[in-house]
Amino acid sequence: MISEEAVREALRSVIDPEAGMNIVDLGLVYRIDAAPGHVVVDMTMTTPACPVGPMLVDQAQAAIRAALPDAGEVTVELVWEPAWHAGLMSAHAKKHFGW
Amino acid sequence: MVAAKDIPPPLRIPLLILGFASLIIGVGAGLLRLGWTVPLPAAELAAAHGPLMVCGFFGTVIGLERAVALARRWAYLGPLASGAGGLLLIAGAPMVAGQAFLAVGSVVLLAGSVFVFLRQRALFTLTLAAGAASWLTGNLLWLGGMSVFDVVPWWAGFLVLTIAGERLELSRFLPPSPMAKRVFIAVLAGLTFGMVFQAQVFGAALLALSLWLLRQDIARRTVKDSGLTRFIAVCLLSGYVWLALAGGVILAAGLAPGSLSYDAALHALMLGFVFSMVFGHAPVIFPAVLRVAVPYHPVFYAPLALLHLSLIVRLAGDAAALHEWRSAGGALNALALLAFILNTIAAVVRGRLNKTS
Repeated sequence: MISEEAVREALRSVIDPEAGMNIVDLGLVYRIDAAPGHVVVDMTMTTPACPVGPMLVDQAQAAIRAALPDAGEVTVELVWEPAWHAGLMSAHAKKHFGW
Repeated sequence: MVAAKDIPPPLRIPLLILGFASLIIGVGAGLLRLGWTVPLPAAELAAAHGPLMVCGFFGTVIGLERAVALARRWAYLGPLASGAGGLLLIAGAPMVAGQAFLAVGSVVLLAGSVFVFLRQRALFTLTLAAGAASWLTGNLLWLGGMSVFDVVPWWAGFLVLTIAGERLELSRFLPPSPMAKRVFIAVLAGLTFGMVFQAQVFGAALLALSLWLLRQDIARRTVKDSGLTRFIAVCLLSGYVWLALAGGVILAAGLAPGSLSYDAALHALMLGFVFSMVFGHAPVIFPAVLRVAVPYHPVFYAPLALLHLSLIVRLAGDAAALHEWRSAGGALNALALLAFILNTIAAVVRGRLNKTS
Protein backbone atom coordinates (compact mmCIF):
# COMPACT_ATOMS: atom_id res chain seq x y z
CA MET A 1 0.00 0.00 0.00
CA ILE A 2 1.49 3.34 -1.07
CA SER A 3 0.87 6.26 1.24
CA GLU A 4 -0.08 9.76 0.23
CA GLU A 5 2.94 10.99 2.16
CA ALA A 6 5.29 8.78 0.14
CA VAL A 7 3.91 10.27 -3.08
CA ARG A 8 4.28 13.78 -1.67
CA GLU A 9 7.87 13.00 -0.72
CA ALA A 10 8.59 11.77 -4.25
CA LEU A 11 7.12 14.98 -5.67
CA ARG A 12 9.52 17.04 -3.57
CA SER A 13 12.22 16.05 -6.06
CA VAL A 14 10.44 18.01 -8.82
CA ILE A 15 11.89 21.51 -8.82
CA ASP A 16 10.54 24.63 -10.46
CA PRO A 17 13.87 25.81 -11.93
CA GLU A 18 12.98 29.50 -11.89
CA ALA A 19 11.90 29.52 -8.25
CA GLY A 20 14.53 27.02 -7.13
CA MET A 21 11.89 25.32 -5.01
CA ASN A 22 10.02 22.02 -5.23
CA ILE A 23 6.41 21.89 -6.44
CA VAL A 24 5.08 20.62 -3.10
CA ASP A 25 6.43 23.53 -1.06
CA LEU A 26 5.31 25.96 -3.77
CA GLY A 27 1.76 24.73 -3.19
CA LEU A 28 1.35 23.43 -6.74
CA VAL A 29 0.20 19.93 -5.69
CA TYR A 30 -3.53 20.03 -4.99
CA ARG A 31 -4.57 16.41 -4.53
CA ILE A 32 -2.91 13.04 -4.07
CA ASP A 33 -5.04 9.91 -4.28
CA ALA A 34 -2.92 6.84 -3.59
CA ALA A 35 -5.30 3.98 -4.30
CA PRO A 36 -3.87 0.46 -4.68
CA GLY A 37 -2.50 0.12 -8.22
CA HIS A 38 -3.31 3.67 -9.26
CA VAL A 39 -1.84 6.96 -8.03
CA VAL A 40 -3.65 10.12 -9.11
CA VAL A 41 -2.19 13.58 -8.59
CA ASP A 42 -3.80 16.92 -9.41
CA MET A 43 -1.33 19.74 -9.73
CA THR A 44 -1.43 23.29 -11.03
CA MET A 45 0.87 26.03 -12.23
CA THR A 46 0.94 29.60 -10.97
CA THR A 47 -0.57 30.71 -14.29
CA PRO A 48 -1.97 29.17 -17.49
CA ALA A 49 0.42 31.48 -19.36
CA CYS A 50 3.37 29.37 -18.20
CA PRO A 51 4.61 26.87 -20.80
CA VAL A 52 6.49 24.77 -18.23
CA GLY A 53 3.35 23.03 -16.88
CA PRO A 54 3.24 19.96 -19.14
CA MET A 55 6.97 19.40 -18.60
CA LEU A 56 6.58 19.48 -14.80
CA VAL A 57 3.67 17.04 -15.15
CA ASP A 58 5.99 14.65 -16.97
CA GLN A 59 8.66 15.12 -14.31
CA ALA A 60 6.13 14.52 -11.54
CA GLN A 61 5.05 11.25 -13.17
CA ALA A 62 8.65 10.16 -13.61
CA ALA A 63 9.51 11.08 -10.01
CA ILE A 64 6.64 8.98 -8.61
CA ARG A 65 7.51 6.01 -10.83
CA ALA A 66 11.18 6.22 -9.87
CA ALA A 67 10.59 6.53 -6.12
CA LEU A 68 7.64 4.14 -5.96
CA PRO A 69 8.07 1.43 -8.59
CA ASP A 70 5.10 -0.48 -7.11
CA ALA A 71 2.72 2.45 -7.53
CA GLY A 72 1.07 0.90 -10.58
CA GLU A 73 -0.60 3.36 -12.90
CA VAL A 74 0.40 6.99 -12.29
CA THR A 75 -1.83 9.80 -13.52
CA VAL A 76 -0.84 13.43 -13.05
CA GLU A 77 -3.37 16.01 -14.21
CA LEU A 78 -2.84 19.73 -14.68
CA VAL A 79 -5.82 21.58 -13.17
CA TRP A 80 -6.65 25.28 -12.95
CA GLU A 81 -9.34 25.32 -10.28
CA PRO A 82 -8.85 26.74 -7.76
CA ALA A 83 -6.32 29.25 -9.05
CA TRP A 84 -2.96 29.14 -7.29
CA HIS A 85 -2.21 31.89 -4.79
CA ALA A 86 0.78 32.58 -2.57
CA GLY A 87 -1.14 31.46 0.54
CA LEU A 88 -0.75 27.87 -0.70
CA MET A 89 3.03 27.94 -0.24
CA SER A 90 4.52 26.08 2.73
CA ALA A 91 6.13 27.92 5.62
CA HIS A 92 9.50 26.78 4.25
CA ALA A 93 8.82 28.31 0.82
CA LYS A 94 7.53 31.54 2.32
CA LYS A 95 10.64 31.87 4.45
CA HIS A 96 12.77 31.28 1.35
CA PHE A 97 11.03 34.18 -0.38
CA GLY A 98 11.32 36.55 2.55
CA TRP A 99 7.85 36.37 4.15
CA MET B 1 2.04 13.69 -21.92
CA VAL B 2 0.63 15.97 -24.61
CA ALA B 3 -2.93 17.28 -24.21
CA ALA B 4 -5.38 16.06 -26.86
CA LYS B 5 -5.83 19.55 -28.32
CA ASP B 6 -2.08 20.24 -28.40
CA ILE B 7 0.42 19.35 -31.11
CA PRO B 8 3.28 16.92 -30.37
CA PRO B 9 6.72 18.43 -29.65
CA PRO B 10 8.35 17.24 -32.92
CA LEU B 11 5.84 19.34 -34.89
CA ARG B 12 6.92 22.42 -32.94
CA ILE B 13 10.50 22.12 -34.24
CA PRO B 14 9.74 23.59 -37.71
CA LEU B 15 8.17 26.63 -36.02
CA LEU B 16 11.27 27.16 -33.93
CA ILE B 17 13.45 26.78 -37.04
CA LEU B 18 11.35 29.47 -38.77
CA GLY B 19 11.99 31.80 -35.85
CA PHE B 20 15.70 31.09 -35.84
CA ALA B 21 15.89 31.67 -39.62
CA SER B 22 14.69 35.22 -38.92
CA LEU B 23 17.22 35.53 -36.10
CA ILE B 24 20.17 34.43 -38.23
CA ILE B 25 19.28 36.51 -41.28
CA GLY B 26 18.23 39.39 -39.01
CA VAL B 27 21.64 39.38 -37.32
CA GLY B 28 23.31 39.21 -40.74
CA ALA B 29 21.25 42.23 -41.81
CA GLY B 30 22.38 44.05 -38.69
CA LEU B 31 26.03 43.32 -39.47
CA LEU B 32 25.51 44.58 -43.02
CA ARG B 33 24.24 47.87 -41.59
CA LEU B 34 27.41 48.13 -39.53
CA GLY B 35 29.53 47.81 -42.65
CA TRP B 36 30.46 44.14 -42.52
CA THR B 37 30.37 42.02 -45.64
CA VAL B 38 27.73 39.38 -45.07
CA PRO B 39 26.51 36.84 -47.62
CA LEU B 40 22.78 37.60 -47.54
CA PRO B 41 20.18 36.71 -50.21
CA ALA B 42 19.78 40.45 -50.96
CA ALA B 43 21.43 43.66 -49.77
CA GLU B 44 17.94 45.18 -49.30
CA LEU B 45 17.56 42.89 -46.28
CA ALA B 46 19.59 45.41 -44.28
CA ALA B 47 16.35 47.39 -43.98
CA ALA B 48 14.60 44.33 -42.53
CA HIS B 49 16.93 43.97 -39.52
CA GLY B 50 14.42 45.28 -36.96
CA PRO B 51 11.33 43.51 -38.37
CA LEU B 52 13.19 40.19 -38.60
CA MET B 53 14.53 40.43 -35.05
CA VAL B 54 11.37 41.66 -33.29
CA CYS B 55 8.60 40.11 -35.39
CA GLY B 56 10.20 37.18 -37.20
CA PHE B 57 12.25 35.94 -34.26
CA PHE B 58 10.79 37.19 -30.98
CA GLY B 59 7.21 37.20 -32.25
CA THR B 60 7.58 33.59 -33.33
CA VAL B 61 9.28 32.24 -30.22
CA ILE B 62 6.97 34.14 -27.86
CA GLY B 63 3.97 32.94 -29.89
CA LEU B 64 5.28 29.38 -29.69
CA GLU B 65 5.84 29.67 -25.95
CA ARG B 66 2.28 30.96 -25.46
CA ALA B 67 0.87 28.20 -27.69
CA VAL B 68 2.63 25.52 -25.62
CA ALA B 69 1.20 27.09 -22.45
CA LEU B 70 -2.32 27.16 -23.92
CA ALA B 71 -1.98 23.64 -25.39
CA ARG B 72 -4.42 24.57 -28.16
CA ARG B 73 -3.75 23.85 -31.84
CA TRP B 74 -5.13 27.18 -33.04
CA ALA B 75 -2.58 29.04 -30.92
CA TYR B 76 0.22 27.58 -33.08
CA LEU B 77 -1.15 29.50 -36.06
CA GLY B 78 0.47 32.57 -34.46
CA PRO B 79 4.10 31.42 -34.63
CA LEU B 80 3.36 29.76 -37.97
CA ALA B 81 2.14 33.07 -39.43
CA SER B 82 4.89 35.22 -37.95
CA GLY B 83 7.56 32.66 -38.86
CA ALA B 84 6.21 32.60 -42.42
CA GLY B 85 6.10 36.41 -42.40
CA GLY B 86 9.81 36.48 -41.53
CA LEU B 87 10.51 33.97 -44.27
CA LEU B 88 8.64 36.09 -46.83
CA LEU B 89 10.75 39.12 -45.88
CA ILE B 90 13.91 37.03 -46.27
CA ALA B 91 12.76 35.63 -49.62
CA GLY B 92 12.20 39.12 -51.00
CA ALA B 93 8.44 38.65 -51.49
CA PRO B 94 6.35 41.83 -51.75
CA MET B 95 6.74 43.62 -48.43
CA VAL B 96 3.02 43.73 -47.82
CA ALA B 97 2.83 39.91 -47.85
CA GLY B 98 5.40 39.59 -45.05
CA GLN B 99 3.77 42.42 -43.13
CA ALA B 100 0.33 40.81 -43.44
CA PHE B 101 1.56 37.44 -42.15
CA LEU B 102 3.31 39.14 -39.23
CA ALA B 103 0.10 41.02 -38.43
CA VAL B 104 -1.83 37.72 -38.42
CA GLY B 105 0.79 36.27 -36.06
CA SER B 106 0.21 39.13 -33.64
CA VAL B 107 -3.59 38.77 -33.89
CA VAL B 108 -3.28 35.14 -32.81
CA LEU B 109 -0.90 36.05 -29.95
CA LEU B 110 -3.37 38.68 -28.77
CA ALA B 111 -6.23 36.16 -28.99
CA GLY B 112 -4.20 33.70 -26.92
CA SER B 113 -3.33 36.40 -24.40
CA VAL B 114 -6.99 37.46 -24.07
CA PHE B 115 -7.85 33.76 -23.61
CA VAL B 116 -5.35 33.61 -20.72
CA PHE B 117 -6.71 36.86 -19.26
CA LEU B 118 -10.28 35.57 -19.32
CA ARG B 119 -9.13 32.42 -17.56
CA GLN B 120 -7.16 34.35 -14.95
CA ARG B 121 -8.13 38.00 -14.55
CA ALA B 122 -5.07 39.60 -13.01
CA LEU B 123 -2.79 42.55 -13.58
CA PHE B 124 -0.04 40.33 -14.96
CA THR B 125 -2.28 38.61 -17.54
CA LEU B 126 -3.54 42.06 -18.54
CA THR B 127 0.07 43.16 -18.98
CA LEU B 128 0.80 40.16 -21.21
CA ALA B 129 -2.26 41.03 -23.31
CA ALA B 130 -1.11 44.65 -23.49
CA GLY B 131 2.23 43.41 -24.81
CA ALA B 132 0.52 41.43 -27.57
CA ALA B 133 -1.74 44.41 -28.35
CA SER B 134 1.34 46.60 -28.62
CA TRP B 135 2.90 44.22 -31.15
CA LEU B 136 -0.31 44.11 -33.17
CA THR B 137 -0.58 47.90 -33.14
CA GLY B 138 3.00 48.27 -34.36
CA ASN B 139 2.44 45.68 -37.08
CA LEU B 140 -0.77 47.34 -38.29
CA LEU B 141 0.86 50.78 -38.35
CA TRP B 142 3.77 49.33 -40.33
CA LEU B 143 1.36 47.59 -42.69
CA GLY B 144 -0.46 50.89 -43.06
CA GLY B 145 2.68 52.61 -44.31
CA MET B 146 4.39 53.94 -41.21
CA SER B 147 8.19 53.55 -41.17
CA VAL B 148 9.96 50.95 -39.04
CA PHE B 149 11.53 53.80 -37.05
CA ASP B 150 8.11 55.11 -36.12
CA VAL B 151 6.75 51.76 -34.94
CA VAL B 152 9.86 50.90 -32.90
CA PRO B 153 8.29 52.07 -29.60
CA TRP B 154 5.32 49.71 -30.17
CA TRP B 155 7.60 46.78 -30.96
CA ALA B 156 9.82 47.58 -28.00
CA GLY B 157 6.66 47.84 -25.89
CA PHE B 158 5.66 44.36 -27.03
CA LEU B 159 8.83 42.81 -25.62
CA VAL B 160 9.03 45.00 -22.52
CA LEU B 161 5.38 44.46 -21.52
CA THR B 162 5.60 40.71 -22.17
CA ILE B 163 8.64 40.37 -19.94
CA ALA B 164 7.19 42.74 -17.32
CA GLY B 165 3.99 40.68 -17.17
CA GLU B 166 5.93 37.45 -16.71
CA ARG B 167 8.11 38.95 -13.97
CA LEU B 168 5.10 40.47 -12.19
CA GLU B 169 3.52 37.01 -12.19
CA LEU B 170 6.55 35.45 -10.53
CA SER B 171 6.84 38.29 -8.02
CA ARG B 172 3.75 36.77 -6.39
CA PHE B 173 6.13 34.39 -4.60
CA LEU B 174 7.28 37.41 -2.59
CA PRO B 175 5.26 38.97 0.25
CA PRO B 176 2.44 41.03 -1.31
CA SER B 177 3.07 44.76 -1.56
CA PRO B 178 0.16 47.07 -2.49
CA MET B 179 2.66 49.87 -3.04
CA ALA B 180 4.68 47.78 -5.53
CA LYS B 181 1.46 47.04 -7.41
CA ARG B 182 0.55 50.73 -7.60
CA VAL B 183 4.03 51.62 -8.83
CA PHE B 184 3.79 48.87 -11.47
CA ILE B 185 0.46 50.30 -12.71
CA ALA B 186 2.04 53.77 -12.90
CA VAL B 187 4.93 52.29 -14.93
CA LEU B 188 2.45 50.63 -17.31
CA ALA B 189 0.68 53.96 -17.77
CA GLY B 190 4.02 55.66 -18.45
CA LEU B 191 5.05 53.04 -21.01
CA THR B 192 1.73 53.32 -22.83
CA PHE B 193 1.75 57.12 -22.84
CA GLY B 194 5.37 57.07 -23.98
CA MET B 195 4.69 54.65 -26.84
CA VAL B 196 1.88 56.82 -28.15
CA PHE B 197 3.14 60.34 -27.53
CA GLN B 198 6.63 60.89 -26.25
CA ALA B 199 9.85 58.86 -26.41
CA GLN B 200 11.33 60.55 -23.32
CA VAL B 201 8.37 59.42 -21.21
CA PHE B 202 8.87 55.92 -22.61
CA GLY B 203 12.52 56.11 -21.51
CA ALA B 204 11.57 57.31 -18.04
CA ALA B 205 9.06 54.44 -17.74
CA LEU B 206 11.72 51.92 -18.82
CA LEU B 207 14.06 53.32 -16.18
CA ALA B 208 11.32 53.10 -13.55
CA LEU B 209 10.51 49.54 -14.62
CA SER B 210 14.16 48.53 -14.24
CA LEU B 211 14.18 49.87 -10.68
CA TRP B 212 10.91 48.08 -9.95
CA LEU B 213 12.32 44.82 -11.30
CA LEU B 214 15.60 45.16 -9.42
CA ARG B 215 13.58 45.57 -6.23
CA GLN B 216 10.58 43.28 -6.77
CA ASP B 217 11.88 40.39 -8.86
CA ILE B 218 12.41 37.02 -7.16
CA ALA B 219 15.85 37.04 -8.82
CA ARG B 220 17.09 39.13 -5.90
CA ARG B 221 16.51 36.11 -3.70
CA THR B 222 17.11 33.25 -6.14
CA VAL B 223 20.54 34.66 -7.04
CA LYS B 224 21.60 33.28 -3.65
CA ASP B 225 20.62 29.75 -4.78
CA SER B 226 22.86 27.66 -6.98
CA GLY B 227 23.08 26.04 -10.41
CA LEU B 228 20.42 26.88 -12.99
CA THR B 229 18.30 28.91 -10.59
CA ARG B 230 21.21 31.24 -9.85
CA PHE B 231 22.16 31.43 -13.54
CA ILE B 232 18.62 32.55 -14.45
CA ALA B 233 18.75 35.17 -11.68
CA VAL B 234 22.12 36.50 -12.88
CA CYS B 235 20.73 36.78 -16.43
CA LEU B 236 17.69 38.67 -15.14
CA LEU B 237 19.53 41.07 -12.86
CA SER B 238 22.19 41.87 -15.45
CA GLY B 239 19.42 42.40 -18.01
CA TYR B 240 17.74 44.91 -15.70
CA VAL B 241 20.92 46.99 -15.61
CA TRP B 242 20.81 47.22 -19.43
CA LEU B 243 17.12 48.10 -19.22
CA ALA B 244 17.99 50.96 -16.86
CA LEU B 245 20.69 52.16 -19.24
CA ALA B 246 18.36 51.99 -22.24
CA GLY B 247 15.71 53.92 -20.32
CA GLY B 248 18.25 56.53 -19.24
CA VAL B 249 19.53 57.06 -22.79
CA ILE B 250 16.00 57.40 -24.23
CA LEU B 251 15.04 59.75 -21.40
CA ALA B 252 18.06 61.91 -22.14
CA ALA B 253 18.20 61.77 -25.93
CA GLY B 254 14.83 60.48 -27.17
CA LEU B 255 14.70 58.06 -30.10
CA ALA B 256 16.17 59.94 -33.05
CA PRO B 257 16.45 57.42 -35.91
CA GLY B 258 19.97 56.79 -37.10
CA SER B 259 21.62 58.59 -34.20
CA LEU B 260 24.30 56.97 -32.05
CA SER B 261 22.08 57.26 -28.98
CA TYR B 262 19.34 55.41 -30.91
CA ASP B 263 21.75 52.55 -31.63
CA ALA B 264 22.88 52.50 -28.01
CA ALA B 265 19.39 52.62 -26.50
CA LEU B 266 17.81 50.02 -28.77
CA HIS B 267 20.67 47.55 -28.45
CA ALA B 268 20.92 47.98 -24.68
CA LEU B 269 17.21 47.22 -24.63
CA MET B 270 16.93 44.43 -27.19
CA LEU B 271 20.29 42.72 -26.71
CA GLY B 272 21.18 43.62 -23.13
CA PHE B 273 17.74 43.32 -21.60
CA VAL B 274 15.70 41.04 -23.86
CA PHE B 275 18.44 38.60 -24.89
CA SER B 276 19.62 38.28 -21.29
CA MET B 277 16.09 37.03 -20.56
CA VAL B 278 16.36 34.63 -23.51
CA PHE B 279 19.75 33.29 -22.36
CA GLY B 280 18.40 32.74 -18.85
CA HIS B 281 15.18 31.06 -19.85
CA ALA B 282 16.36 28.93 -22.76
CA PRO B 283 17.35 26.06 -20.40
CA VAL B 284 13.76 26.08 -19.11
CA ILE B 285 11.76 26.97 -22.23
CA PHE B 286 13.54 24.67 -24.70
CA PRO B 287 12.75 21.60 -22.57
CA ALA B 288 9.17 22.83 -22.13
CA VAL B 289 8.63 23.41 -25.87
CA LEU B 290 10.64 20.57 -27.40
CA ARG B 291 10.76 18.14 -24.47
CA VAL B 292 14.51 17.81 -24.70
CA ALA B 293 16.72 18.19 -21.66
CA VAL B 294 19.06 21.20 -21.57
CA PRO B 295 21.08 20.33 -18.47
CA TYR B 296 22.72 23.28 -16.79
CA HIS B 297 26.50 23.64 -16.92
CA PRO B 298 28.61 26.54 -15.61
CA VAL B 299 29.80 27.15 -19.18
CA PHE B 300 26.35 28.77 -19.72
CA TYR B 301 27.90 31.91 -18.21
CA ALA B 302 30.34 32.23 -21.13
CA PRO B 303 27.84 33.40 -23.83
CA LEU B 304 26.23 35.67 -21.23
CA ALA B 305 29.58 37.27 -20.38
CA LEU B 306 30.35 37.68 -24.08
CA LEU B 307 26.96 39.31 -24.65
CA HIS B 308 27.61 41.87 -21.93
CA LEU B 309 31.21 42.55 -22.94
CA SER B 310 30.28 42.91 -26.61
CA LEU B 311 27.55 45.40 -25.71
CA ILE B 312 29.99 47.42 -23.64
CA VAL B 313 32.26 47.63 -26.70
CA ARG B 314 29.35 48.64 -28.94
CA LEU B 315 27.97 51.25 -26.56
CA ALA B 316 31.45 52.63 -25.92
CA GLY B 317 31.69 53.07 -29.69
CA ASP B 318 28.34 54.87 -29.70
CA ALA B 319 29.32 57.08 -26.76
CA ALA B 320 32.67 58.08 -28.26
CA ALA B 321 31.39 58.17 -31.88
CA LEU B 322 33.98 55.56 -32.84
CA HIS B 323 32.55 53.62 -35.76
CA GLU B 324 35.19 50.87 -35.51
CA TRP B 325 34.26 50.13 -31.91
CA ARG B 326 30.58 50.13 -32.67
CA SER B 327 31.16 47.87 -35.62
CA ALA B 328 33.44 45.49 -33.71
CA GLY B 329 30.92 45.45 -30.85
CA GLY B 330 28.20 44.50 -33.33
CA ALA B 331 30.28 41.61 -34.65
CA LEU B 332 30.95 40.47 -31.08
CA ASN B 333 27.19 40.76 -30.36
CA ALA B 334 26.59 38.33 -33.23
CA LEU B 335 29.32 36.06 -31.86
CA ALA B 336 27.61 36.05 -28.44
CA LEU B 337 24.33 34.95 -30.04
CA LEU B 338 26.16 32.26 -32.00
CA ALA B 339 27.89 31.10 -28.80
CA PHE B 340 24.47 30.94 -27.11
CA ILE B 341 23.00 28.79 -29.90
CA LEU B 342 26.02 26.45 -29.98
CA ASN B 343 26.04 26.23 -26.19
CA THR B 344 22.35 25.26 -26.16
CA ILE B 345 22.88 22.60 -28.83
CA ALA B 346 25.91 21.26 -26.93
CA ALA B 347 23.83 21.07 -23.73
CA VAL B 348 21.10 19.11 -25.53
CA VAL B 349 23.72 16.66 -26.86
CA ARG B 350 25.26 16.38 -23.38
CA GLY B 351 21.81 15.64 -21.97
CA ARG B 352 21.23 12.89 -24.52
CA LEU B 353 24.64 11.32 -23.87
CA ASN B 354 24.01 11.38 -20.11
CA LYS B 355 20.62 9.76 -20.64
CA THR B 356 22.00 6.93 -22.74
CA SER B 357 25.09 6.27 -20.60
